[in-house]
Amino acid sequence: MLHDASPPGHPLTHVIDRLAHLLPAQGPISIFIHHNTLHAFEHLPFEEAVERAAERLGREPFLAESRYREKLASGRILAKDVEALLIEQLGASGAQDVAGVGPRLDLWRAVVLHGIPAATGRELSWILEETDALSRLRTDVPANARFARTALRELDDRMDDERLAVRRLWNACLDAVGRADASPVPAADTPVRHRDWLLAASDLDSDAWIHPPLIRFLAGYLDQGLAHWSMPERGRGIHGCFLEIYGTSLAALCGRWARTLPRLVADDRAAERGALSSIAHSLAELGVHDEECADYLSAELLALRGWAGIVRQIEERPDRVPARDLTVTLRGYLAVRLLFERAALDQAARQLSFDGPLSELRPWLRHRLRVRPVLAASERAWPLFHVAQLCGLDASIVEQWTPRHVTELEAELRQLDGVRRRRILHQAFERAIRHRLYDALTHHAPQRPPEPPTFQAVFCLDEREESFRRHLEEVEPLCETFGTAGFFNVAMYHQGVTDAHPRPLCPVAIRPDHYVAEVEANGDHLLERSRRLQRRAAGFLGYNVHLGSRLPVRGAVLMTAFGWLALVPLVLRVIFPWLSSRWRRMQQTSITASRTRLQLDREDTVPPIGKHSGFTLREMTDIVRRGLEDTGIRDRLSSLVLVIGHGSISLNNPHESAHDCGACGGGRGGPNARAFAQMANDPRVRQLLAAEGLRIDLTTWFVGAQRNTCNNEVTFFDDNLVPANHQAAFERAREAIETARRREAHERCRRFDAVPLWYPPLAALAHVQGRADDLAQPRPEYGHATNAFCIVGRRTRTRGLFLDRRAFLVSYDPLRDEDGAILARIMAAVVPVVAGISLEYYFSYVDPTGYGCGTKLPHNVTSLLGVMDGAQSDLRTGLPWQMVEIHEPTRLAIVVEGTRDRLWRVVQGNAGIEQLVRNRWVWLACLDTESGTLWEMQTTGFVARTPEQALAVVAGESASWYQGKRGFLPPVAIVQGRAANRIEGASGTFDERPARAWPSA
Amino acid sequence: MTPSVPLMWLVLVGVGSPAVLFALLGGATLVNRPLPERWTGWLAGSSMAIACAALLLAFVVYGTTGTGTQLLSYGAWSASHEGGIAIEFLVDRLSLGFAVLSTAIAGIVSAFSNRYLHRESGYDRYFVLLAMFVTGMMLVALAGNVTVLFIGWELVGLSSALLVAFFHERPAAVSNAFRVLSVYRISDAAMLSAAVLLRHVAGTDSLSLLFGSGTASSIGLSTTNATIIAMLLIVAVAGKSALLPFSSWLPRAMEGPTPSSAVYYGSLSIHAGCFLLLRAAPLLEQTPAARVLAGVLGGATAVFAGITTRVQSDVKSSLAYASLTQVGIIVVEIAIGWYTIAFVHLAGHACFRLLQFLSAPNVLHDLHGIEDAIGDRPSPASGHLEAVTSERVGRHLYLIALERGFLDNVLDRVVVEPFTRLARMLTHLDEWLCDAVLLTRRPVAIDGGDQDE
Repeated sequence: MLHDASPPGHPLTHVIDRLAHLLPAQGPISIFIHHNTLHAFEHLPFEEAVERAAERLGREPFLAESRYREKLASGRILAKDVEALLIEQLGASGAQDVAGVGPRLDLWRAVVLHGIPAATGRELSWILEETDALSRLRTDVPANARFARTALRELDDRMDDERLAVRRLWNACLDAVGRADASPVPAADTPVRHRDWLLAASDLDSDAWIHPPLIRFLAGYLDQGLAHWSMPERGRGIHGCFLEIYGTSLAALCGRWARTLPRLVADDRAAERGALSSIAHSLAELGVHDEECADYLSAELLALRGWAGIVRQIEERPDRVPARDLTVTLRGYLAVRLLFERAALDQAARQLSFDGPLSELRPWLRHRLRVRPVLAASERAWPLFHVAQLCGLDASIVEQWTPRHVTELEAELRQLDGVRRRRILHQAFERAIRHRLYDALTHHAPQRPPEPPTFQAVFCLDEREESFRRHLEEVEPLCETFGTAGFFNVAMYHQGVTDAHPRPLCPVAIRPDHYVAEVEANGDHLLERSRRLQRRAAGFLGYNVHLGSRLPVRGAVLMTAFGWLALVPLVLRVIFPWLSSRWRRMQQTSITASRTRLQLDREDTVPPIGKHSGFTLREMTDIVRRGLEDTGIRDRLSSLVLVIGHGSISLNNPHESAHDCGACGGGRGGPNARAFAQMANDPRVRQLLAAEGLRIDLTTWFVGAQRNTCNNEVTFFDDNLVPANHQAAFERAREAIETARRREAHERCRRFDAVPLWYPPLAALAHVQGRADDLAQPRPEYGHATNAFCIVGRRTRTRGLFLDRRAFLVSYDPLRDEDGAILARIMAAVVPVVAGISLEYYFSYVDPTGYGCGTKLPHNVTSLLGVMDGAQSDLRTGLPWQMVEIHEPTRLAIVVEGTRDRLWRVVQGNAGIEQLVRNRWVWLACLDTESGTLWEMQTTGFVARTPEQALAVVAGESASWYQGKRGFLPPVAIVQGRAANRIEGASGTFDERPARAWPSA
Repeated sequence: MTPSVPLMWLVLVGVGSPAVLFALLGGATLVNRPLPERWTGWLAGSSMAIACAALLLAFVVYGTTGTGTQLLSYGAWSASHEGGIAIEFLVDRLSLGFAVLSTAIAGIVSAFSNRYLHRESGYDRYFVLLAMFVTGMMLVALAGNVTVLFIGWELVGLSSALLVAFFHERPAAVSNAFRVLSVYRISDAAMLSAAVLLRHVAGTDSLSLLFGSGTASSIGLSTTNATIIAMLLIVAVAGKSALLPFSSWLPRAMEGPTPSSAVYYGSLSIHAGCFLLLRAAPLLEQTPAARVLAGVLGGATAVFAGITTRVQSDVKSSLAYASLTQVGIIVVEIAIGWYTIAFVHLAGHACFRLLQFLSAPNVLHDLHGIEDAIGDRPSPASGHLEAVTSERVGRHLYLIALERGFLDNVLDRVVVEPFTRLARMLTHLDEWLCDAVLLTRRPVAIDGGDQDE
């Protein structure tokens, strides 16, 4: 029988496994896990990695140069940072003279800061003929170059003279180039695939023929339940299933290109080839030699990288998709792809009247390839012309250039090409952002924690909680907040009362052992049962409407009789989303079960997934101990501790899960918070802890909660169990949170263009509630956009500091961690998650249609696995533009409080983190506990930073700083109540849309 | 009987409101001064609301005062020669009902799009095209003569193709838009031929005679002519409503922003053909052959789309074929003569499918919700097609459905390729002729083209 099973030692297995790393590593979209888009390149230093990946994958490494120039103009990039970077990178060679133009540093500075517009061919002809490039000097030349210009102006202010001078300069450049030797022709990159040769030689695109049917087949094969009729024979693996379904003469009707497809399929079937032998056979037929096999296959894989990527993801983690009858392998996909490819190439060969075997097609096409033209004189003169202007060179100097000068200058410019300029500008851009934070942290005076706190709240470290914590502390100055990874050390499969399937709630690196179910508390049996029945009835109704609308007869009855009823939800959800959100919440509470509890205790039953049902006492004790130690809360426990996880619920948003908690593997962290609180309240756990020296007072009570980051709703779990003597404190905390969530919504709304800036907090809350229930809303929230920092340390160092929702805040007490063990486990849990988030946002912003998945508007959910653009396309991975549009692409700056030695020991102790730090995928800095000095990790080791910018102080509350502003805001210290002197420099938002920017305060 | 003055005004407002919006937005864009987003959204919303209210009122006024079909004449554009372009609207319960439905749906969609396309660079373009579309729909719905009908028909088609190509930086979007446009051209050609023929043999282009209660012979149409006109209309309808054999353009049209796919291919444009058939019902009744053709086409489409939709694994294609199934059934209902049922079916389907299309990105959320409520993955219903066919037949049927009946390929081979071959042949002939003529005069090589001296 035909099967995908093949000998493990097959040489192709190894090749395919290695190539698979190049594919996007995004799993099914309903469990969205942020990860480094260029994970496969992490072994390289960041800049080299992004540039190499850009070349290999055909993507952008940095923003467009023009974007950086805008940032230079708006002050987001500072010229002094560019200068500092150039000095650092050029070193001693910066002083060398280049081709008589001047010191290399000056040349580079001028070119980086002002740029040389790239233009070749017709574009250049147009510029030369239609613009005033040859009649006016550039107006943006650097100060030292302006001498020539002003001198010229002073001599004679007539326009004609400028024109003559520019003309002369241009002619001088042309002459210099004419005298010089021919420039080395850049080696043309030779394509590997037949299709690329074909396209280059004849404009025939075989991919355009085979991709639509290939995508249809793959989407059908991988479908997780969207199609009502799932593909037959799926158990045979991709290749086997393909042979069955396409093993008919009908397959030739797929298109003109498919004429030979049935023959190829029959051939594979007759020879009883498995996937690997089919690949080997196809490669031989195509004339691909062993040494180019890897290159060829990688080009094949990258041609539809999204689909190939999801195939690989399911192959590796079949447990993450619901459909169980699939055997998904990348080799199966490749085998099918190559069969399609051969059929299409047969047809292309026929169209080109080539009648040899396919293996001869490439050499034959090579001869028909068009010759690449050499650079014209004007194309070579153009950059030199700009260099002359930027360096203030007169035509008389250029006229004396020898061929050696030209060659040298051209070689220099090849080094300082567009990518290099963008790299330097990008580094300067990140530097400014990072340094602002460093200076703020150095200047910010540590705030003493309130003694004793009225209540404490432990949040997820998510940067969206930064604002929530700040507002909560402003509302209730006597409270204290903490941040930790949002799964609260409870790694479990959780199944809620209303969930059909359990779901893992922990970082993706962990496969949980424990299964925890939410069960209905005893009591009102009849009521529970009727609710369950109602739920099921609603479910069946929904299913029948969903299905019936797609069936002919049932559909006709449904549409004729009840179709117009659809107007009700349409009008409600589209025109009055806020009302519909109210209605939905009311309906939800009536249908969902009322009182439930988590089944945390170990039971002997076999769990549906994982190894054990529930936790043992020992495990619970360890979880609680670790939570209390990590956050540094252990000695400061107040009478009420809130543990608050987070999640996000929105409508019409295939990327909904990307807004959920990263530490919960793209799930919602409420159950984890609830489980932690339930464990910490357990007297048996407390007894065990006390025996180990960690006392939790009898007067301390934990309450779990979940915050919906989209509509800012905070749901408390088990609040009926709060003891009577804690009720007052609980009510006070609840009220504080009520106010805080309003204010947080208010702060968040300042980034939404459509929300007027005058909205008061109450209206802002109503707005975000409507937003979450709005069918028409492509950006229900901005998620992690704008994240830039991660601060690991005591809250005292950051309390009262306005960080603009940009910082992941992790609580850590360096004073109670002599051996660094706590720091080591915090870093191991936190860094991969936050680095993944930061880098995914970086890449999705830098190349929104390449690394990201473009605009959401035409997205089309397919196979319940991901989205395509429009009718059909490659599976789009990464983040949509609507999620990242307000982001600033910058690597995460991680600041850790403590000593340098300890930090470095911890980093070295973790190979993954060390690689990220050494290769600069994240920035690392150490905030010294005692001296308060900030040490930045550089290639040479930790270097102390001398602060440059003062920290502005704003009196009042956060709102007095952000109110009325749209763009990015620099950190400031918010001082409550007291009137404080405002320090200069506290003004200015960095908005790149001046038309919409609020005037600086 | 003469139509009442309020009715004339109300209909004028109903048609004029989107037309003014189109002129306003289009004009602003034309002079490169697009209105701010906020204004555009507000204008579009209120214009649709005004049109909807006016037409609703017109419906009430008509219901209380009028009976039968009324022709509202607003004068003529070029009355200089005989039978110029008269601005005439034909008002009855059907046309007013469809117009009210169209404006209501357009209003909901414009409110939706206002937020959905916020900050999108094509925001203006989108609303210009939407206004163009609604204007076209109004003309189609209320047209009193073939010329007005044709103008509306063209506006709908053009805006539809341009919205498919909304993301014109993607090659797939543009090529699919061309595909849609070329099928529409076939449909337009059929419509135009019908109009010309009608005018030629009957000496009028008024629809009141054709679609009114009179018989074909009463306006001087022979049965043959009437049948030809009806057949041409059916071709026009088949192109616009994606009936067989034109169905393959429908899934390709899902390239634009979600709300445009919803309003065109879920809701209004796809039903424009059905509506036209409903209007032409009196004509159909007198031409049994055309009636049978309509029934067969509709039935075949419903069966084909019904099977195809079952295997589609992306939500928009699945909805597209599901819509097509219902459209086919509606056409069958019209062919049978169940006009009221057909109209109610059409209206219900338009509303329901709009909701489904607009919430298409929500399908993951919806299906998870259903699963959670039921407590498990709902098992596929037994007794359906895939369960009753044999394994072998099932595989063949699956492949046919997966490949959408190979319609694209068939159309390519049967229509496109012969056509392009013919065109190429004519080009060659043309060149050859030119060369033959020109060579006698200019014996110089064509190369370079600069050898003027």
